[in-house]
Amino acid sequence: MMPLTMVNTGEPSVIKKVGGKEETRRFLEKLGFVPGGTVTVVSEIEGNLIVNVKDSRVAIGKDMANKIMV
Amino acid sequence: MSIKIALAGNPNCGKTTLFNALTGSNQFVGNWPGVTVEKKEGKLKGHKDVTIMDLPGIYSLSPYTLEEVVARNYLINEKPDAIINIVDGTNIERNLYLSTQILELGIPVIMAVNMMDIVEKSGDKIYVDKLSKKIGCEVVEISALKGTGIQKAAEKAVALAQKNKTSIPVHEFTKDAEDIIERVEDKLVGVVPDAQRRFFAIKLLEKDDKIQDQMNTSVDVSKEIAEMEEKFDDDTESIITNERYTYISSIIGECLKKDRKEKLTTSDKIDKIVTNRWLALPIFAAVMWLVYFVSVTTVGDIATGWANDGVFGDGWHLFGIGTASYTEVADEYTDAETIVNGFLDYESEQGVDVESVQTALDSEADDYDPAAAKAALTEFATTISDADTATYSVVDEETMADEEVTSTGADFQEAVATMDKYDYTAPDPADYGVWIPGIPVLVENVLDKVGCAEWLRGLILDGIVAGLGAVLGFVPQILILFIFLAFLEGCGYMARVAFIMDRVFRKFGLSGKSFIPMLIGSGCGVPGIMASRTIENERDRRMTIMTTTFIPCGAKLPFIAMVAGAIFGGASWVAPSAYFLGIAAIICSGIILKKTKMFAGDPAPFVMELPAYHMPTIGSVLRSMWERGWSFIKKAGTIILVSTIAVWFTTYFGVMDGKFQMLSEDQIDYSILATIGKAICWIFIPQGWGNWQATVASVTGLVAKENIVGTLGILYGGGDASVYATMGAAFTAVSGYSFLAFNLLCAPCFAAMGAIKREMNNTKWFWTAVGYQCGFAYLVSLVVNQIGGLFTGAGFSIWTIVAIAVIVAFIYLLARPYKESQTLNVSVKTSRAK
Repeated sequence: MMPLTMVNTGEPSVIKKVGGKEETRRFLEKLGFVPGGTVTVVSEIEGNLIVNVKDSRVAIGKDMANKIMV
Repeated sequence: MSIKIALAGNPNCGKTTLFNALTGSNQFVGNWPGVTVEKKEGKLKGHKDVTIMDLPGIYSLSPYTLEEVVARNYLINEKPDAIINIVDGTNIERNLYLSTQILELGIPVIMAVNMMDIVEKSGDKIYVDKLSKKIGCEVVEISALKGTGIQKAAEKAVALAQKNKTSIPVHEFTKDAEDIIERVEDKLVGVVPDAQRRFFAIKLLEKDDKIQDQMNTSVDVSKEIAEMEEKFDDDTESIITNERYTYISSIIGECLKKDRKEKLTTSDKIDKIVTNRWLALPIFAAVMWLVYFVSVTTVGDIATGWANDGVFGDGWHLFGIGTASYTEVADEYTDAETIVNGFLDYESEQGVDVESVQTALDSEADDYDPAAAKAALTEFATTISDADTATYSVVDEETMADEEVTSTGADFQEAVATMDKYDYTAPDPADYGVWIPGIPVLVENVLDKVGCAEWLRGLILDGIVAGLGAVLGFVPQILILFIFLAFLEGCGYMARVAFIMDRVFRKFGLSGKSFIPMLIGSGCGVPGIMASRTIENERDRRMTIMTTTFIPCGAKLPFIAMVAGAIFGGASWVAPSAYFLGIAAIICSGIILKKTKMFAGDPAPFVMELPAYHMPTIGSVLRSMWERGWSFIKKAGTIILVSTIAVWFTTYFGVMDGKFQMLSEDQIDYSILATIGKAICWIFIPQGWGNWQATVASVTGLVAKENIVGTLGILYGGGDASVYATMGAAFTAVSGYSFLAFNLLCAPCFAAMGAIKREMNNTKWFWTAVGYQCGFAYLVSLVVNQIGGLFTGAGFSIWTIVAIAVIVAFIYLLARPYKESQTLNVSVKTSRAK
């Protein structure tokens, strides 16, 4: 398991766990970040990511991305 | 029977495009009561009795964001007759998550799968009949952008509403979960309407803290919650979320056939370049430069010039025909006039009596007669020989700077010849090309014709028309800017801007999108403040609105030039320092404010969905431009108008020669404003410029910042010495900079304040913003004067101690520890379900 920030750009990976506080987790779940789902990092700037999840693109800050384990 | 239909869906799914297509121009835009979430309502085209309500874009019906609470309260309490659930066909799986919740509300639902044109293009296939069966409501395919299928969707929704047949959700969770939900549902019999039982049951199980407010009787479900959490070894909300996604995953295979094999979409390919680690900033800089270049410096500048000097000035040449030839002759005549007047001034200083000549040449006098002017000047000209020289000063109209010029007698004779050529009358622009007189000119002509009273004439021309002009003069530039913003938003780039700039701006409490308002604000604060609309997060938006006008705008430039010229002898560091002061003020304010109670409490994490890149339609760009422009004209217009009239009245009326009367421009010393200035100027004693002239100038600066120059010109002019010399004597370098700092940082002009009021949409926040700006400006200028005075030998006083205390407090506020808020704080008035 590793945080999403460590994943290479363009490689699809499966979400294992979404950590963090309850509210953070809820928010990510609504956007489609659920265990078992696939995410692909499209691009990265200083730890901030744009990821493809359930066919939509989501920009996500470094601190939040660190809580998504793949 | 009137029918209410609500549009609900995820953000970026094309909801607003559909809304516009369904309602056309039949819209009413407002705010949901008590919050700054936009509320849009409209009548369905061709159906006067059908109201369409555009709900804010949401991902779920949980109570975590303002948008969700607003949408949820509307759906539960207002009970629309039908819901059109709009779903983005290109990422249908995620969108269905909301659909499963909407279907539980017990309201007839029709699902509109949008962006079908893109789905078909990519080779994917959505089987709507299967989807319809699996989800439990009618499904139609549409493309809101292309306008296909929308009429059918609307008609079906109306039919559904008339039948009033509730959609029954068919999605099922695992048996264990269903059992528990059913037990809670049983408890709710008689408490909530039958159709809404499942919705309330699930919300209660999810421990939704806002749902109890919607119910008359409280129901205790803690036993069921405990049981569920025990069984699934997770918290209830996550269990239900997972159940929903599991159901969606189980049906999606049948309903959707994907042709893509993990290849990148066009949008992702663009993102690979535009948000690339190395290319993102250069591309962003290039885009910003283009926006700034067009909307502020080139086209925007021309548009503002045209609106201010043309429509609300003397007039303009249609399509610029004749402007060039007129400017040429006008400049020639003005130059000649300057030389002639210079010579007259010089001769007068030498003791020659030229008063009669000067009187005859005064072209602004009511009884000006070109023939008399000619006679007087020709006679005077005979006394000047080619070898004579004259030294005189020429004053720049914009900044009041004066310059020593020396001319020879030969120049003089040539100037006389030039004036002779034009018959001693300044060229009339109306004689060149197609001239359209400005509104003030037209109004003046009408007033002259009806013989209007002097005071009423002043009120109409200098108060109302000038006040309206101050607002409307900015409109063309604002509209140009809004076209750009609408395009950048529509094509999807604006959302990326936040991503690219986020790390930089986050450090001082602003959003990545705050960069745009500040950049625009360096041209004019009004469109700058209005550009803050693209920031979704309310806290970031408010902070941006409060700090944007610290950046010197175009209207402050003549004032900066005046201070630099009159007090600092034209030093070149003054102007750049004004920009540094502005940037420093923004950064410090950001850091200080984000630690205050006011700005704590909202969520900070950065997560946002990015729409796919696509070309916006011209119609949608123009509509967005007009909506924003019009709201400015309407709302900002009132406050500015009233304020301008108030300042006009206090400037032009006062007690002179023992009686209250109307004053002319150069009698401002006797005005009410001057009396007020004299009464309150002590406030600025610690700033080093506690004189009434500076105070009055600062007040007139509220109408428009360039007025400061004009007012100071009147107040410090009129004596023997030049305006610059008098002003230079009235200020020391330190108090001069303090004066500059105050006027750069304090509340902006009325037009910008109107924009602040409009954008804050809340009186308390408006006053907080203006109060903060003025307070900040007051303290900064106090520190500048006192600490500066300490170094230049002004001595130590009680105020020096105050200044030091301010600095210490300031450093404390900057450096004190900061705890990022961890709780979401959404407070919305909820009403009970009826």
